[in-house]
Amino acid sequence: MKARKLSSLFVALTLLVGTTAAGQQEDHAPETSKVERKNRAPVSKDILKVTLPRATEATLSNGLTVLIMENNRLPLISMQFNISGAGPIFEPSSVPGLASIAATMLREGTKTRNSVQIAEQTSLLGAEISASAGFGSSSTVINASGLSDNFDQWLALTDDILLNPTFPADELNRLKQRLKAQLKQQRANPSFLSNETFARAVYGPHPASVVAATNESIDAITPEMLLKWHQDRYTPQNTILGITGDVKAADVVQKLEKALAAWKKTDLKEVLPPNPKAAAAKRVLLVDRPGSVQTTVALGNIAIDRRDPDYIALNVANHILGGGPAARLFLNLREEKGYTYGVYSNFTALKYPGPWRAGGDVRTEVTAGAMTEFMKEFSRIRDEKVPASELEEAKRAIVAGFALSLESPSELLGYAIVRKIYGFPADYWDTYPAQVMAITADDVQRVARKYINPENLQVVAVGDVGKIRPVMEKYGPVEVYNADGKKVTN
Amino acid sequence: MNSIKRIVWTAALSLLIVPILGAQAVKFTEHRLKNGLRVILSEDHSAPTYSISVTYNAGSRDERDGRTGFAHLFEHMMFQGSENVGKGEHFIIIENNGGGMNGSTNSDRTEYHETLPANQIDLGLFLEADRMKSLAITPSNLENQKETVKEERRQRYDNQPYGLTFDTLFEVSYDNFAYKHSTIGSMEDLGAATVKDVADFFKTYYAPNNAVLTLVGDFKTSEALQKIEKYFGAIPAQPAPKPVDMTEPPQKAERRKVLEDPLAQVARLDISYKIPPGNTTDWYALYVLGEILSTGQSSRLYQSLVRDKQVAVQVGAGTFERRGPSLFLVDVFVTPGKDPKEVEKLVVDELERLKTELVTDAELQKVRMAVKRAKVEQLQGTLYRAQALGEYAVFYNDPNVINTGNDKLMNITKEQIRNAVRTYVTANNRTVLTTIPKPKPAGGAQ
Repeated sequence: MKARKLSSLFVALTLLVGTTAAGQQEDHAPETSKVERKNRAPVSKDILKVTLPRATEATLSNGLTVLIMENNRLPLISMQFNISGAGPIFEPSSVPGLASIAATMLREGTKTRNSVQIAEQTSLLGAEISASAGFGSSSTVINASGLSDNFDQWLALTDDILLNPTFPADELNRLKQRLKAQLKQQRANPSFLSNETFARAVYGPHPASVVAATNESIDAITPEMLLKWHQDRYTPQNTILGITGDVKAADVVQKLEKALAAWKKTDLKEVLPPNPKAAAAKRVLLVDRPGSVQTTVALGNIAIDRRDPDYIALNVANHILGGGPAARLFLNLREEKGYTYGVYSNFTALKYPGPWRAGGDVRTEVTAGAMTEFMKEFSRIRDEKVPASELEEAKRAIVAGFALSLESPSELLGYAIVRKIYGFPADYWDTYPAQVMAITADDVQRVARKYINPENLQVVAVGDVGKIRPVMEKYGPVEVYNADGKKVTN
Repeated sequence: MNSIKRIVWTAALSLLIVPILGAQAVKFTEHRLKNGLRVILSEDHSAPTYSISVTYNAGSRDERDGRTGFAHLFEHMMFQGSENVGKGEHFIIIENNGGGMNGSTNSDRTEYHETLPANQIDLGLFLEADRMKSLAITPSNLENQKETVKEERRQRYDNQPYGLTFDTLFEVSYDNFAYKHSTIGSMEDLGAATVKDVADFFKTYYAPNNAVLTLVGDFKTSEALQKIEKYFGAIPAQPAPKPVDMTEPPQKAERRKVLEDPLAQVARLDISYKIPPGNTTDWYALYVLGEILSTGQSSRLYQSLVRDKQVAVQVGAGTFERRGPSLFLVDVFVTPGKDPKEVEKLVVDELERLKTELVTDAELQKVRMAVKRAKVEQLQGTLYRAQALGEYAVFYNDPNVINTGNDKLMNITKEQIRNAVRTYVTANNRTVLTTIPKPKPAGGAQ
């Protein structure tokens, strides 16, 4: 029952960001702010071995790849179209937002249905249909889901939206007004400012450096541009369609063959722009938000793509450094120092190389201390071999976590789609746990030294520049931006 | 096993009510330990995992004046260690075994949970039992967590656009202290909490007879019961806490307030009406109305305010579920340049129309389809069921609301919606809060 949507969204105070150690540590210095391990809890030493189900694969006559994961436990079906070549990294640089506006507009009118009819029919069927093209992505993704007893009907609606959108001008104008209000709103958000500036810093000229539309691009986009984008970029031969739930593989392939017959193969191949390269020199980009009580820090540089042989080793290294609440950054900066509500690290690995990144929000007054600890942790994982017990725990955490994914059919489907997108072998996920367990302390140190490098670190900090500038100058030449993303001459 | 008094419950009843999807009912058994701990178990072997949830019958409504924010501060203390678990060790252990965990506090309850691989059944039970039995309450832990919670308040309320809107709306809407004050609490009250407060609260509210333990997932009920007895059986019961007076005097006139927010970029309008508690016919009728007004792009307020008139960029409406006097809420983010007063009139006109015109068959049908789907989807993960069973047991003394609540939503009629609107959606029962961007100081750079 969805009855509790309000209470869960707005009023319950969750804990995961609430177990922080003390605020003003320097004053109290309580001995209890040390994490303590008593090792008395009854833990089963065995890692529950799970086998992720494999998808059935088929190729339709128009070249579309279908992955089907039957799961007949519940009368539900979810499908995801991953349309490669239709992501924002391929849009002309003059119109950032073209791909995502095209995706949003799919639901706003087709040759036979207007916006209201699409909305009405979707709800009457109890279906959900959404489309998006996230900035930095090489694809547009359409998700559709609903009950299996009226699958034919909501599949027909999904097909119509996918294949016959008309991008009506009046609906586009309405969307533009809403998008402009959103643009205005997100500039008040420090994490948006941090993402925008970090993407600029690490991706340089690569199109993934763009994270939002602009007022100008929104104004410039016309129905004709959207139609052309859809015609050129939404192609079956570059699409992977994943389906999970209450279906029979043979039936569903026949059904799709018929439903998608009008979608014709083209010559378009996905050609990626030249890869981004790791910045060679360190620098500091500050975004001024006067009066900000916190500094939002993002530190990193370009590392690897998803197919890189270092992927699994970097995954383990990242887990140790900042992958969660048991990781070094969190235990140090939050549990012991009390500088923050939460600090983490992650890395983005897609078809092209993306950055590893560490960061979080820290109180303005402790920005200097937090930076010192970040740098200390970067040096520690580079200079010292990770102790055997810590390495084993990290590997165990990654492998044991697979059991939980079995609760979620869409997560399992996600694994199958990833395997297909990157062309991994059929047994990729079967052998993955063993590959994780084979990672050694030397592997961790090697990838840490290769990718986590203080000498070329890109440092982004959103906060009260008047207060934090002297602190940040230590980490490289400083550039200052305002909350509109414009460089400030100083 | 003899020590466990078994309360037999069967899901057969709900099969009769909704024949279409009767097979999708959540089946569970109920038990009670000698110390009063209520236990709800629901086997589901579809994945090798389980979720454990402990819901304490304690929330910010139990706080007294001068100690606002205490229930939530206490929740933080539950992660500071206990007799056999070190500070911070709780989430290290969960993380290293591939699990997930969290805790949360609201006005009506405090809840803790873990989701783990099925072979770690002892681990979840041990961790929850150890802190129910032997929380480490020390002055330094408390000081530590006071600062943390203050930091949390700064980050999530004081430094967020609209961060103070909800709490202000509640403060103006309610008269009874229980729901009038915020769950996060005031800085002053957080600072005033003492170790004795913590010890007293622990003893009174964190007793087994004031909690519900729920397990959903891949275990055998008989084995789970033995383990539950082993880990929780020896924790002593305490006298029941004093019931909270939730009486809310009838509102006599409309209330209005304007809140200036330095971080907001667009105006926001919040309208509330006081309504009966959750799990009542009127509450369900207004829940269905909320869906009709704002769920999906074909909903009334989206179509009229966002799409047609373009006076709003986002709109929401719905019931806030409380075990005491609840609220029906409408929130609107106003299009820049539009007058919030004009938008307010449009919202009120939409609501007034419902007093004379019944909602349509199609509108009811959409809600029923959404409920039908939600009934199936709630069987997918184990955590939601564990939380909902525990919450309904604490709120309504009836965990089966997880099933009957959906059935009641399915059966709400157009007339019930109209009657509920006529009774509760009235000018005198209304509170209107407008959050507006705070004018920037001249020459300010923000």
